[in-house]
Amino acid sequence: MIEGVATNPYLTLPVTVEKITVENDARDLKTFRLAFRHKADRKGFRHECGQFAMLSAPGAGECPVGIASSPTDEEYVEFTVKRYPTGVVTSALHSLEEGDRIGVRGPYGNGFPLAAMEGMNIVIVGGGFAFTTLRATIRYLLHERSRPRFKKITAIYGARSPGELLYKEELMAWQGSPDMDMHVTVDKGDKTWTGREGFVPTVLGEVKPGAANAVALVCGPPAMLRFTMKPLLDLGFPPNHIITSLERRMSCGIGKCGRCSIGGQYVCKDGPVFTYEQIMQLSGGQF
Amino acid sequence: MTLGAIKKEHLGQLVAAVGAHGGFYGPVLRDNDVCLDQVQPSDTLVLDYANFTLPPKGLFFPRSEVIATHGADGMVETPLPTGKAVLFGVRPCDAMSLTYLDKVFMEAQFADPYYRARRERTLTIALACRDPAATCFCTSVAGSPSGQGGADILAVDIGDALVLESATPAGEAFLAEYRKLLGRPSDNQVKARDAQVAQAVRKVSSIGSDGVTARLQASSESAAWEELAERCLGCGVCTFLCPTCHCFGLYDEEVGPQGRRVRAQDACVFPAFTLEASGHNPRTRQGLRMRHRVMHKFCYTAQSFGDIFCVGCGRCIVNCPANMDIRETLTEVPP
Ligand SMILES: Cc1cc2nc3c(=O)[nH]c(=O)nc-3n(C[C@H](O)[C@H](O)[C@H](O)COP(=O)(O)OP(=O)(O)OC[C@H]3O[C@@H](n4cnc5c(N)ncnc54)[C@H](O)[C@@H]3O)c2cc1C
Ligand code: SF4
Ligand code: SF4
Ligand code: FES
Repeated sequence: MIEGVATNPYLTLPVTVEKITVENDARDLKTFRLAFRHKADRKGFRHECGQFAMLSAPGAGECPVGIASSPTDEEYVEFTVKRYPTGVVTSALHSLEEGDRIGVRGPYGNGFPLAAMEGMNIVIVGGGFAFTTLRATIRYLLHERSRPRFKKITAIYGARSPGELLYKEELMAWQGSPDMDMHVTVDKGDKTWTGREGFVPTVLGEVKPGAANAVALVCGPPAMLRFTMKPLLDLGFPPNHIITSLERRMSCGIGKCGRCSIGGQYVCKDGPVFTYEQIMQLSGGQF
Repeated sequence: MTLGAIKKEHLGQLVAAVGAHGGFYGPVLRDNDVCLDQVQPSDTLVLDYANFTLPPKGLFFPRSEVIATHGADGMVETPLPTGKAVLFGVRPCDAMSLTYLDKVFMEAQFADPYYRARRERTLTIALACRDPAATCFCTSVAGSPSGQGGADILAVDIGDALVLESATPAGEAFLAEYRKLLGRPSDNQVKARDAQVAQAVRKVSSIGSDGVTARLQASSESAAWEELAERCLGCGVCTFLCPTCHCFGLYDEEVGPQGRRVRAQDACVFPAFTLEASGHNPRTRQGLRMRHRVMHKFCYTAQSFGDIFCVGCGRCIVNCPANMDIRETLTEVPP
């Protein structure tokens, strides 16, 4: 273990890019599988579903990215990153090759309250590339050690087009799994698409997951979140059983630099996971 | 509580005695302005100033600093300062501001090693105010011109001498260590000090900020924020000069073969502060940014730390190019 790293929260741990997967047709979404260069660092990096970490590309800086792998994936950590044409760090990450070295610091944030959700029905609603931490959660929930602790698992995931769906192989497997009820949808299909078409909030209204003894985990772009709240409330989910993850610009990730504040709380430290009830208090319901 | 006293003409000896063991930081002239800086043998301490233009936060949380370099196999932390330091002459409001910054930078879960190293090595001797400025309002925000909060020792200027009183065990130990230079005050000196303290507090006017936290909270949707902000240039002077503002950014620079990580002060009044890569910005208008700055100091920190993060130093009033006045803002924003 490197001197100072354990006690200095601003320093990154060295990792190697083990595997890069291009996720979508537009090729602006890549999943990076990272391996810690020091065994002790991997041991020290104990994350929960819904947490994020700061990734740094040499010379470019850092950015927060949700952890896309499950705590049960013990050998590695994965992140799925969207490249913005003007984005300094995301562009630098996208130009990496397997074997390159980068830095990670974290895990940060509160994560989904999975322990409190044991014994309940779980409803997962995801849209676009914000599906990453929900993917981590599904992997965790379906793991043989965790699955018995949860009741029915229903998931709805949508993307603009078939080519934009993340984690295509896993989606296939989950759709055939007796352990969960997986609904994949696209806004608009193409010639080969035989699955469902329709926006996520609409599909949610059709699938009608029950609200009794249930919690909904919702991640997506702000517009999708906005349109998903009504169907959930209509189904009977109380605002404190609707859980989502917020994004704000970040720098420190540890509640000091002031950048990610939302109504007196820091998304990096008090969040990124908040209930809809909290978001109504913090920002009047703005995502 | 221990007392001490020193004639002003002997302060140079104290500087030399302390300086032999570490750094002595005090009020000295730099470019015709009284500043807090490390006192050099050629310097004379200056004791007549209302306050410094720059708050003391920069001594612990510099405007910009290299915090680490990128090594071949991980990052290498910039060596932290060691040895003892004495900070003499900060005003009580600014000493108080350090206790607020402590709550941000030294909380248990993620203590900031750079800030902590500098704070922990520093003994603070605050200098009580004789003539508070017209823009001072410390007494409206839990302070006083002779407040001891954040100070290890409080010094009171009684004309030809300073009367010192310890406020912490570290201050007491300092008075004991330098007892030869810091004798005990006479009864008359103590009386003069008490008179001084009493007259100064009467000079600070109250801004009627009682209940400000609740009032601001109720005002969060008020149109007054946009009206107020029409005058604001968004220059950031109020935040950079505020002793409790602590926003910053981390940046990686490619310098030399390995590159380095820099931490630099930043400000919530700039539009780019919250601008995201997608183009989304949760605080698009100056009114929203001004509201955030004021609410952060007067509501959010009151909720999360139990303290209003304003010490009433008046720097934001004196230095604003658009004549914004936080005292007016606090009373003008309707609930
Ligand atoms: C909790 C959280 C989880 C996230 N998870 C993912 C994810 O799983 N996959 C993904 O692709 N993106 C994710 N993002 C968004 C991602 O952080 C931004 O796209 C990224 O910071 C853009 O950086 P850039 O340097 O390319 O952009 P630039 O515009 O060059 O930004 C400069 C700096 O600003 C900050 N910044 C800019 N936009 C954002 C933003 N939206 N959120 C936070 N900081 C920002 C970063 O520190 C960045 O380095 C997440 C954001 C947050 C807050
Ligand atoms: S100093 Fe004045 S003009 Fe500048 S950002 Fe502050 S309030 Fe606005
Ligand atoms: S808000 Fe203004 S008066 Fe209050 S501490 Fe900051 S600079 Fe001083
Ligand atoms: S990112 Fe610095 S406070 Fe949240």
